[in-house]
Amino acid sequence: MSDVLLTKVAPTNREIKGTKSKKPKLFIALCTIPTLLLTIIFMIIPTIKAFMMSFTDATGMSDDNKFIFLDNYKYMFHDEMFIKSLFNTFKLMLVVPVITLAIGLVLAFLLTQTKLKERGFYRTVFFFPSIISLTVVGIIWSFVFHPNMGILNNILSNIGLGNLTRPWLGDSSTALWCVAVTLIWQAAGYYMVMYVAAIDGISPDVFESATIDGAGQFRKLISITIPLLKDIIGITFVLSLAGTINLSFIIVSVMTGGGPAGGTSVLLHYMYTQAFQNSNFGYAMAIAIFTLLISFVLSFLSRLLTNRAEG
Amino acid sequence: MDSNQKSIRNRIIANWATRIFLIFATIVMLYPFVWNLLASFKSNTEFLTDPFALPTALHFDNYVRAFVKSKMGNYFMNSIILVLFSTALLIVLVVPISYVLTRFKFFGSKMILNLYMACIFIQATYIMVPLFLQVNSFNMLDNRGMLGVIYAVLQFPFAIFVLSGFLRSVPRDYEEAAKIDGSGNMGVLVRIIAPIAKPGIVTVGMLSAMGFWNEYPLALVLIQSEGKKTLPVGLANLFEVQRYATDWSALFAALILVLIPTIILFVIGQKQLLQGISAGGIKG
Repeated sequence: MSDVLLTKVAPTNREIKGTKSKKPKLFIALCTIPTLLLTIIFMIIPTIKAFMMSFTDATGMSDDNKFIFLDNYKYMFHDEMFIKSLFNTFKLMLVVPVITLAIGLVLAFLLTQTKLKERGFYRTVFFFPSIISLTVVGIIWSFVFHPNMGILNNILSNIGLGNLTRPWLGDSSTALWCVAVTLIWQAAGYYMVMYVAAIDGISPDVFESATIDGAGQFRKLISITIPLLKDIIGITFVLSLAGTINLSFIIVSVMTGGGPAGGTSVLLHYMYTQAFQNSNFGYAMAIAIFTLLISFVLSFLSRLLTNRAEG
Repeated sequence: MDSNQKSIRNRIIANWATRIFLIFATIVMLYPFVWNLLASFKSNTEFLTDPFALPTALHFDNYVRAFVKSKMGNYFMNSIILVLFSTALLIVLVVPISYVLTRFKFFGSKMILNLYMACIFIQATYIMVPLFLQVNSFNMLDNRGMLGVIYAVLQFPFAIFVLSGFLRSVPRDYEEAAKIDGSGNMGVLVRIIAPIAKPGIVTVGMLSAMGFWNEYPLALVLIQSEGKKTLPVGLANLFEVQRYATDWSALFAALILVLIPTIILFVIGQKQLLQGISAGGIKG
């Protein structure tokens, strides 16, 4: 009796094992195919299309696009407005990530090291600007820089620096830096949160033994925190570079529309203008691909640098 | 004893120095919002005489004007429906594929994962022109459902990245136990994996919902009729118009209206949001 049972049980057991290693093909297909299909239609194909279009003279008007290969790319470097946008973007990329990350790091360090009772409150407040709509950020900061009812000019004249007041966004020498300040204000708290998490991951013993050795706060930041966070600093730098290229589009669209006289035109905003105002789709795509390449190369380079520093 | 007292005193001084610095930073972060909030309760004449004075009375009619005359109520509903739809669609599509990609090795599984990792770079702004043409060729421009689908799709790489990282850390024991009890794969996914992965799903859902709520470039390009616009686009238009009209107070009221849902979501889910950013960021 028991023998019979055992023989009956044994094969079914093997069967279960058999089906398991045979993979549930239908289930896998059901789970992946819809998602993958949508990705192809709305992400992969448009990306490939963008690439192809950048070699054509496509406009919004006609359907027969001529293949002109690299002409769009060559034209870019004779296009004064493009050069201006490129330099503006570079200026932002040089300034915004470094300052944003430095502020984020210092804030994170202060919050984790000095165990102030209200540090949860500070973290919430600093993080808040990074989750609100960039359109809102752009509009609010337009009022900070507003010539006659702006917060900045008002503060300046109240502390006796009235001669420094100016129409910040209307002045081509300051407008781009207003965009930079807005971007920094908006993102510093976001990176602070990442750094807080990373610093919390460092063993407190390390800091304690440094204190016993007589290291001050500044020393601890420079000699312990920054070296130990090297990896995440590298990663956040890439994120911030990509973010600057991307987010500057929205801030510029809302705050200045690229003006005055192209003073705040950035790559993606110029691409948008070329595509939807001038209907130069082919040329616009060449700008988009070029911008994408810049962010690829930069992130590749910074990955390489952080890896080398590590090894 | 003496040196001990000295070190305590130094600590207190250091703490207060830090505190003063942090309070200053808090003012820099919050003042623009406070200024905006105060301005949203002033009448237009009050605002124009002195943008910095406290409001003399609470002019709630600014909010009424923003909501009705400036169509903020309409934009608001559009945005809410869009966010709910896209977030639900995202979760339904992304949880199964993340699960399958982390649990089964099949032909192309590694490639699919790599494809999504590479796609993290592709941002909406880069491909908004071909997307516009693609949607146009489907005759689906000015369609809110279409916009919702595209929102979800563009969020796939990030969502799959975070969720598959999360699922990898979930032990297999539960699934195996459920399978021995006779559950099919679909049953395991719905009844075992989804509940276990809930924290991860909530984090992804919240970060995505906030992203959708704030999205600007695609909504600007893919939606044309006034009645279908989303809040960020409607708000940017209002700002553009108010430069010449000058119902400033209604604009400030509108800005506060946009902030309210974000603040609510922030208060409810701050923990998940912070976790999500830490997890998503550290792994790059």
